[in-house]
Amino acid sequence: MIDAWLLPLILFAPIVGAIVLIFIPNQQRFLIQMIAAGSSFVSFILSFYLLYAYDATVGGYQFVQRIEWSGNLGISFALGVDGIAVPLVLASGILLFTGIFVSWHIKDRLKEFYVSLLILAAATIGVYLSLDLFFLYFFYELSVLPMYLLLGMWGSHTKSYNEMKDTQKRDFVGFILNFTSNSKEYAAMKLVLFLSAGAVVALMGILLIYVGSGLNTFDIPTLAEHGKFSGTMATIIWLLIFFGFASIAPLWPLHSWSPVGHAAAPAATSMLHAGVLMKLGHFSIIRVGYEILPEATRDLMPIAAVLCVFSIIYGGWVAYSQNDTKYIIGYSSSSHMGYIFLGMAALTYVSLTGAVLYMFAHAMATGLLFALAGWVYDQTHTRDIPSLGGLSRTMPFATGCFVVGVAASFGLPGTVSFIGELMILMGSWNKYPVQTIIAVLGIVVTLAYLLRMLRGVFFRDPNQEIPYEAELKWAHTSDTNGFVNRMPLIVMMACTIYFGIFPGQLIDVIGSSVEPLLAKIHGTEALSSTSLSPVLFPDISTSALTPPPSVGEGGAVLLIGGSP
Amino acid sequence: MNFTLELSGADLLLLLPEIFLTLWICMLLAADAVPSRISKKHIGNLSVFGLYATLVTLFWFYINGKTGSLFNGMYLLDPMALYFKIFIVVSTILVVSMSIEAVERFPAFKGEYYFLVLMSALGAMLMASANDLVSIFVTLEFTTFGFYILVAYLREDAKSNEAGLKFFILGAFTAALLAFGISLIYGATGKLILTDIAQAMGTEPSVALIAGFLLLFAALGFKIGAVPLHTWIPDIYHGAPTPVTAFLSVAPKGAALAILLRIFFVTLAGFAAEWIWLLVLVAIVSMTYGNIVAIAQTNMKRLLAYSGIAQIGNVVIGLAAASKMGGESIMFYLWAYLFANLGAFGVVIAVAHVINSEEIEDYNGLNRRSPFLAFAMLLFLLSLAGVPPLAGFIAKLYIFVAAMEAGLITLVVFGLINVVISMYYYLIVVKKMYINEPTDPTPVTVSPMMKTAIGVAMAGTLILGIWPKPFMDWTVDATKMFDLNLLTTTHAFTLPFGG
Repeated sequence: MIDAWLLPLILFAPIVGAIVLIFIPNQQRFLIQMIAAGSSFVSFILSFYLLYAYDATVGGYQFVQRIEWSGNLGISFALGVDGIAVPLVLASGILLFTGIFVSWHIKDRLKEFYVSLLILAAATIGVYLSLDLFFLYFFYELSVLPMYLLLGMWGSHTKSYNEMKDTQKRDFVGFILNFTSNSKEYAAMKLVLFLSAGAVVALMGILLIYVGSGLNTFDIPTLAEHGKFSGTMATIIWLLIFFGFASIAPLWPLHSWSPVGHAAAPAATSMLHAGVLMKLGHFSIIRVGYEILPEATRDLMPIAAVLCVFSIIYGGWVAYSQNDTKYIIGYSSSSHMGYIFLGMAALTYVSLTGAVLYMFAHAMATGLLFALAGWVYDQTHTRDIPSLGGLSRTMPFATGCFVVGVAASFGLPGTVSFIGELMILMGSWNKYPVQTIIAVLGIVVTLAYLLRMLRGVFFRDPNQEIPYEAELKWAHTSDTNGFVNRMPLIVMMACTIYFGIFPGQLIDVIGSSVEPLLAKIHGTEALSSTSLSPVLFPDISTSALTPPPSVGEGGAVLLIGGSP
Repeated sequence: MNFTLELSGADLLLLLPEIFLTLWICMLLAADAVPSRISKKHIGNLSVFGLYATLVTLFWFYINGKTGSLFNGMYLLDPMALYFKIFIVVSTILVVSMSIEAVERFPAFKGEYYFLVLMSALGAMLMASANDLVSIFVTLEFTTFGFYILVAYLREDAKSNEAGLKFFILGAFTAALLAFGISLIYGATGKLILTDIAQAMGTEPSVALIAGFLLLFAALGFKIGAVPLHTWIPDIYHGAPTPVTAFLSVAPKGAALAILLRIFFVTLAGFAAEWIWLLVLVAIVSMTYGNIVAIAQTNMKRLLAYSGIAQIGNVVIGLAAASKMGGESIMFYLWAYLFANLGAFGVVIAVAHVINSEEIEDYNGLNRRSPFLAFAMLLFLLSLAGVPPLAGFIAKLYIFVAAMEAGLITLVVFGLINVVISMYYYLIVVKKMYINEPTDPTPVTVSPMMKTAIGVAMAGTLILGIWPKPFMDWTVDATKMFDLNLLTTTHAFTLPFGG
């Protein structure tokens, strides 16, 4: 019986928690913490259950629930998951639950913080669960506003703002918005306006789908089946959908709100933001663009293949030259989103499965890094790498976790990122060899800036540079201690490593939905797709072409590959 | 023309809500005149009670599906009229409950305030039923007369006096335009009833007729405050006592929209392809102008005034859609607008009651001074901006869908861009309330009556956003009559979709 209630419970548990919290006074901290943790725990556990309850042999949309919401406009409140949504719901559940514990010690207006955080997470989960275009947009837009409050109320200014250096600095956007460019208010406003602008572009595409299909429905499966779009109109709609949602992804050149937002946000918000909020973009492009406009997707996805290279290079380059821990992780996230776009653009079974898997993997890795950056900031009140150093002496446990986070971020074998990254690179090789080579080089850059940060924050011997001062400077800091502080880190590390070693279930689940999707996109052209591979590069993955197994050992998929 | 008037008791029953409210108003006036110790507060409570009773009679009509027309078709009680009457009465109830506290601080004429508000509401209710040009003129002026006095209610306050004078001069000017327009239309067709005019117009309207309708539109555009007839709005909203501003921003606009719907969708239904351009232009300019100028405001009431101009631009999109769905979406939008706008003004009244200021600067740190008011304001502003899960979101989407169905893509693009622009200035207020620290951290207390009224507006904003189905079904019912008109959908810029 739980199956009927599974998705509504995952979605509404945080919302109910948020509503209950509104009526509890801020003085009762323990009660507030318990309610937030309890409601997020429901989502957390059930999203794990969802992963194993989803039947990969059947595929398609499962656990579907549908209530008519407005007959007049053809909107129904439809929930359901396919294999692409399941890992993302899981990631949201994990990051929400751990995020509640990461922000356990917030002093100012804890209740409002948890309310915003729960609504933010519920909204992201809502997007992943929606089978109705209207509600997809509804939850998408709903996820933007809590970010404003989270950044504005509990965020932090950058170093130069705090030190009152160039407080009047204004870039172009800052000038228009009348904010100093390195303040948290600027970050919050920029984030909301950029995302809203992207959202209305996507909304225009959604409205065109609604009107153009003539079916008087927002239902995604119906539109995917009966909606026929072709020619210029399909191109226009696809471009609106793609660039509208790519702004949250964030694809270069629509990324500029993202690192600023990461840097200003409190730790738990950055975790959710980088972990699952940004994936709303990829997911919505797959859900709307791929499902409803398969032909346009096939013709136009090369745009993403071009832009993703800029994302990878630019993000990595900027990350390397930053001195602010959160900026580094933020730009590294934008850079890594490029890999996902590459995997999506290649449109092969292996690459697309890898891209979805990498979304999950990146959520865990970035969540870990942001949680630790947040801890370091709470302890030292700075994110500036030159003024940090030698923290491994006072925080050995956090250092260990950070090493795992770094390893997960660049894809060390044994972490789930490795599998995702490898599948993306292998699957894209035939179609986009140049991009694949650049992406591989991008991994080297990732390694460079992450290890530089690791050294700068935790390992650099402070005595060499500032003989006595530094030793004393951070002596008061303490390691993560106790259940509350360590549990979230352990959960995220465990997920990274567990799914890195046993990715079978995840890959089966993802693959069960990727396969029919690609069959639809390639249509009859599927067989001739091998001819696209350049002569210059031998066709390594199709040489062992066998149909991808929809069931069975997930690990084996890696070795087989090829387009269906 | 036959001027015999046959009125049976059953016919008079159609006027029951109005007759009841009139009697109640007389009773209030008498109660106020009695030199006893009846507190003015009780007169306020009594008027709320009377409005509730009126609402009950209206619902009785609604449930029994009672419709009909009176006075040879001058007065029409159809589902749409009923819808707008309920809208007007609900808005009046909210306004009066929000005013009671503020009226206590008026220097004089506390009792008469309720009389004037209820009289204006009565006029607006009659406006919703007006089905010929003469009754449009009479009811419109009936409504406005009450406001001439209400706007200038604070006799000692220069701003209020200035606002009153401006409103009176511009209002009189508009009345002249309206009368002139009516005379031109009557001269050209010899008819006054809106449906008769449609038949008498033929296919090639004369210049006089076109001029007449333009003047009519100008007069009604003045009432709803659409650009280019918006200039009175900011000054008068700013100067008038805040409860009056709240009332002025909702009830007369609703009533004027009822008339606009009748004129455009009934009388001018055959000429949709011509007037659509006018409305597209008005909608684009109203939204853009309202939103951009709102950015520069430092006073809460002026901000809401300009945001109101932009909101009306959205409403005009629905009008320009020239379809049944357009009508539905407007009528749905009005509810969202009612709760969000009255709620926002309610918060302004509550805050001004304590800190005596309406400047946006003084909202700094409101979240720390009164979490309830700050949260309420947050909801109302976000609803006006069109953020889910609030009423404004689904209302805007409804209008955009209607416009898309009509093929008005350009208009929807402008509407969407404006959603983003408006987000900025609403969020600036949110920033002041939530992010900035208060200069004076003393708590802002709210009286229970005020809290209830704001709570009702919050509930309306949320319920409409989360479960709009009953309201949508109601709008579908209330606009049934537009089905018959078969509006032309051959616009110059239909959707470029093949078959």
